Amino acid sequence: MTQPIPRAQPAVAERLAEIVGERHVLGRQSELLVYNSDGLPGYRRQPRLAVFPGNREQTVEVVRLLAEEGLPFVPRGAGTGLSGGALADDIVVIGLHRLKQIISLDVANRRATVEPGVVNLRLNKHVAPHGLLYAPDPSSEAACTIGGNVAENAGGPHCLKYGVTLNHVLAITVLLPSGEVVELGSKVGERDGYDLRGAFIGSEGCFGIALDITVKLTPKPQTVRTLLADFMSVDGAARVTSAIIASGIVPAALEFMDGPTIRVVESSIYAAGYPKDAEAILLIELDGLEAGVNADLETVRHICLEGGARNVKVARDDIERMKLWQGRKKAFGAMGRLAPHLIVQDAVIPRTRLPEILETIHAISAKYGVVVCNVFHAGDGNLHPNIAYSADDPAESGRVHKAMTEIMRACIDAGGSITGEHGVGLDKMGYMEAIFSETSLNAMCELRGVFDPDRRANPGKVVPIHACKEWNAVASARAAGVAAREPRPLETEPAHPVAQ
Amino acid sequence: MSTEAVATAVHESNATRAPLRISGRSNWLSAGRPVRARQSLSLRDDAGVVSYVPGDLTLTVRAGTPLSEIERVTREHDQWLPLDPYGSNDGTIGATIATASAGPLATHFGLPRDLVLGLEFVNGRGDVVRAGGKVVKNVAGFDLSRLLTGSWGTLGVITEVTLRLYARPKLDRSVVVRLKGSEKESTAFLRALLGVPLNSYSLELLGVSAAQALGLGVSRVCLIRFGGNAAAVDAQLRELSSLAKSEEVETPVWDRLRNLEKDAGAVVRISGLPSTFREVSASMLSDEFPWMIEYINPVRGVLRLMIHDSGDAASDEESVLGLDPTLPNQPMVFEKLPAEAWAEIPSAVSDSLSRGIKKAFDPNNVLNPGILGD
Repeated sequence: MTQPIPRAQPAVAERLAEIVGERHVLGRQSELLVYNSDGLPGYRRQPRLAVFPGNREQTVEVVRLLAEEGLPFVPRGAGTGLSGGALADDIVVIGLHRLKQIISLDVANRRATVEPGVVNLRLNKHVAPHGLLYAPDPSSEAACTIGGNVAENAGGPHCLKYGVTLNHVLAITVLLPSGEVVELGSKVGERDGYDLRGAFIGSEGCFGIALDITVKLTPKPQTVRTLLADFMSVDGAARVTSAIIASGIVPAALEFMDGPTIRVVESSIYAAGYPKDAEAILLIELDGLEAGVNADLETVRHICLEGGARNVKVARDDIERMKLWQGRKKAFGAMGRLAPHLIVQDAVIPRTRLPEILETIHAISAKYGVVVCNVFHAGDGNLHPNIAYSADDPAESGRVHKAMTEIMRACIDAGGSITGEHGVGLDKMGYMEAIFSETSLNAMCELRGVFDPDRRANPGKVVPIHACKEWNAVASARAAGVAAREPRPLETEPAHPVAQ
Repeated sequence: MSTEAVATAVHESNATRAPLRISGRSNWLSAGRPVRARQSLSLRDDAGVVSYVPGDLTLTVRAGTPLSEIERVTREHDQWLPLDPYGSNDGTIGATIATASAGPLATHFGLPRDLVLGLEFVNGRGDVVRAGGKVVKNVAGFDLSRLLTGSWGTLGVITEVTLRLYARPKLDRSVVVRLKGSEKESTAFLRALLGVPLNSYSLELLGVSAAQALGLGVSRVCLIRFGGNAAAVDAQLRELSSLAKSEEVETPVWDRLRNLEKDAGAVVRISGLPSTFREVSASMLSDEFPWMIEYINPVRGVLRLMIHDSGDAASDEESVLGLDPTLPNQPMVFEKLPAEAWAEIPSAVSDSLSRGIKKAFDPNNVLNPGILGD
């Protein structure tokens, strides 16, 4: 099948096709539709071209070509992100899902080196026979890639005990936007110097592309026990969450779902057997050495019942356990039953503020006449209030966005953060100035400037450009007629307008 | 000293081009390379708790707060910051984070990078920057907290730190296993130990000199710390007793171990694949040189080695550099060396990204110039 290449951009598209093969360059608007959003369908941007290198060498060549041409690009994994971070506004998308080799597995040292396109769950299946697991488990684990996880510093339910991506990556081979390849961290030990690996993780595609990632693997716990506690009030479940954390027990996971979420999940194909009349449930997992877990299980059960839980059910076997988890992990998918679009927030609040913030969210949803579903990582204080709505209805859209802004404001005022694991991307860029000062944002711009002096990697994301002093200086210098290197858009016909 | 005072000092330093030596309580001024600065900027008086909500298990303190103060404040709520860098608890949290110093508890609780939630710092231009936040999970913006942790004060003066705390374990027990047999037997024990389901807080294999210095006898020893609820600790002690005879020791043994480094003339950390250390650690802990103290963490894959001044810098340097033929190409981190010895050691920040970051954050090189070989 031959691919039409944008007429006015023959040189770049053709040269990309020479590197990766014609069928791995997409330029036709209809083909590019698939790449015009990520997991937040409310945001749409149409890329100009999409290119899919098949191996490391091709990736390097592609990026070097774009560097030569001064063209901006957006790296993309599986596109499951929830921040609009992988959207390319009329520029090139570099899709990395074909780089899916598990390069090495070192069981004795509990580490594996993988290409960025390896799917999270596939890595876990690969290492499971050796009694190992890769701990960060975003709910999109069946589709999301390790490269994307690194870009977003992804979390997941089990990060409560095990930590996020940052805590599980030992080394990264990075392809800088200039085309240079550098090693960050160490595959064999602990090195000194600046923690560049730490700086790269969570840089949302703005610092370059991970060509390979060496991750730490965790031994499977001896015992895993999962409890389901259901409550007739949201407040009861929130207070029990705070009480469990304060008790000092660190559950492997402590997840919260409110009544509306329970009922959507239970009427979907992901039904997990949650009590449909409950106003909230907590899904609590404890793992570790058998003797210790059994003792903690009793303590947690006691805290739940004391705190007003109607029932506390312990999963009898792995099948029951997996079923309980499926409902939680597929909850966002189940929301599709309610409306075509979904808006999800990711704020984090101090854990003791949970009861009052949930009350505030309830009041805000009533005020705007929207139904907020709460399904989130309660143990971390990482909220995911979400609203299913139709983006095609302007009035509804307006109310939804107003409600979400107000919820975010309440979380910020409680001393929280705007994002715990989904990233800033496009979605939360407007809130960055609410939590960071001008000098703090400028420091972030400067760090980005070291990795990507020409600002060609994922431009226009994370830090609002007007917050960057030095860049503004460059822009004004240019305006004053001084030559400065600026990223330029692809010189082709104007982009097709895309519904926002 | 306040953040504003630090910013003023840095502004002045830029104006006069007189660089600053950043310090905490000045316990470890001999660590790192010699600094080319006459003026010093001490954070020791900028101490105290900024906010502590025990239920959130997070703590925000000023950088000059000593670790001992954090220990005291958190203990009142049965919590702790499980960070026990080598040296003593007299050091400040700012210096600990700036140098990314960790100790035996890192086996279970991770390194400073894993415990820091947010920072406030003053960069080399005197701008006040806040990184991260006060909540336990946060991906807002680029990760300046990680960048500053372990940057030895060269990118910014850390003025405030927010940390993740843990509840103190119900039970906290330490045991010693004396390895009196052959090297082969020691290795076999270690292999078996790491093969059974244990979840030790700390695990160090001490050479003879280290064991002697701690009064633990005249053989190599394995020092292990278990924590958790009573059932978990008992189960682990039972598991261990099936492998070897062990004796309980008081928890302060760890503080004494950390203190051994206080007077060392040179401290080197060699890290590598844990398997390498497991297989050769018994033979690596040489019994020959009483002035050389070594211990190995076979879980993390780290060997620490210190040499107490023999009075001859050149021979100290030789014994450090000639270190171990069995471990070629392992990353070595020199924490402390005789001043003359540094010239031989390549800088860890000489790559172009590190140089670019230094230039962006401290364009006039006024913060701890030279400490990382920059």
